[in-house]
Amino acid sequence: MDLPGPFPVGRYARKLEEEMRRRARVSLIGEMTGFSRSRTQAYFELRDSEGAIPCSIWLNELEKLEVPESGLRDGAELVIGGGPDYYRGSAHASPSFSFRATHLRLAGEGDLLARLEALRKQLRSEGLFELQKQLPRPLLPRTIGVVTAESGAARRDLVAGLERRGWGGSVVWGFAPVQDRRAAPAVTAAIQDLAARPEIEAIVVTRGGGSLADLWAFCDETLCRTVAMLRVPVIAAVGHERDSTLIDDVAAVSCSTPTHAAEAAVPLDCNSARAGLQRCAASLSRAGEGAVGSRSRHLVALSRGPARAIQRERVALNQKTREMRAAGERRITEQTDFQRRIAAVVLQRAAGRAAGPEMRSRREGLRRAEVALRAHQPERTLERGYALAESGDGEPVTSAAAAAAAGRVKLRFSDGRVDAEIGGEIERGT
Amino acid sequence: MPRLGERLSAEPDSYESAVERLESIIDRLDSGQAGLRETLELCREGRELVTYCVAELDAVGEGLKELRLDELAARLEEAPAEAG
Repeated sequence: MDLPGPFPVGRYARKLEEEMRRRARVSLIGEMTGFSRSRTQAYFELRDSEGAIPCSIWLNELEKLEVPESGLRDGAELVIGGGPDYYRGSAHASPSFSFRATHLRLAGEGDLLARLEALRKQLRSEGLFELQKQLPRPLLPRTIGVVTAESGAARRDLVAGLERRGWGGSVVWGFAPVQDRRAAPAVTAAIQDLAARPEIEAIVVTRGGGSLADLWAFCDETLCRTVAMLRVPVIAAVGHERDSTLIDDVAAVSCSTPTHAAEAAVPLDCNSARAGLQRCAASLSRAGEGAVGSRSRHLVALSRGPARAIQRERVALNQKTREMRAAGERRITEQTDFQRRIAAVVLQRAAGRAAGPEMRSRREGLRRAEVALRAHQPERTLERGYALAESGDGEPVTSAAAAAAAGRVKLRFSDGRVDAEIGGEIERGT
Repeated sequence: MPRLGERLSAEPDSYESAVERLESIIDRLDSGQAGLRETLELCREGRELVTYCVAELDAVGEGLKELRLDELAARLEEAPAEAG
């Protein structure tokens, strides 16, 4: 042991006392517990979740501060001012350490809010606000747990809210005091006990409104850390809308009223859900029947298809026949008209030709033929001195034999006829 | 989550998964893209899901039952003693 000393303990104790009393004076905030009085002093401990300090105050100083007696009780939130003190004791008296308070007052709303903010910052930095929010919440739990005061409007409002949603599952009540800081351990225990039951699918923690001091249990660090670590979703509905406790931050859901908490604990409105399921069932029936019905109608239509196709073709064929017949008749008429027109044109052209130079040439030919013909007429020959022998009935006698046989003939001259008798022998040659 | 048209092999995990599946079935049917076989299969599966959901609602439809945690705890403590 290579240390300085050994020093006489009394001297060391005095030095320690001097050092303690030289330390800076500060103010502390915490929860009072174990308040007691001696003849001259009052003693208590000031605590929070991280630690505690024994405190003392001279009675005469306490009286001057006029702190209401009702505030000096376990669980009261206090702000004290002072510094550390060490009584070194003596050969016959025991030493002691305490925070010697010279000022003491009950913590106000501002003190609590400041403390709450510090705690909120701490828990947020540890990620404890997110854990509950990541938990799945059942849409339709069968059993929920509720932590609240046994007698209170919150309980009644919650039940009414659940019933309004048509929900008739099981509620396990974890009744606990919900007033001020002292309630925190009981609330924490109730939450833990509910969470330990496997059938419980969500936990509601609720109470009505109040001052921050009234709601302080729900800002308790241990309670909030417990809630954050649970695997069952916690729905917090503490105080009114304007109240913001720490459990609101760590819970899965924070609600402004017990009625809203009922909606969060059972998100499904059972009445609407039943109506919705009926609609779904009807929709499914329609879809099934519709699918079969439409297809069977389609099949029936298809089965009628060939007959309809034949009928369609027959109608088309009849139509074509009619059209062909009409077209034939039309063609014949057109052809006839055409032929007529052609004939008319040909005749017209022939008439034209007849009326033209060709006609004149033919007329000339005719005239010449007429002249030639006229030259060959018997009258012309008779005029030149020839006579024509004719029988009695006017037929020409063209041979000597015929004349001899006839005996009598008429001789025709150009200027008339005379009878002649045939006699003598026939002289041959000219 | 089974594929559309695939037969359910087991009961849904929860009411919400059943409802989610039911909604996807209705959407598929409403789209008009499912063939006859798929439609009939979806309708059958949908009816099973509706039956499941109705049963779940029925399970919480018989009126609120209120229990006390301290009584449950006491009952739990008594049970082993009785068993012993």
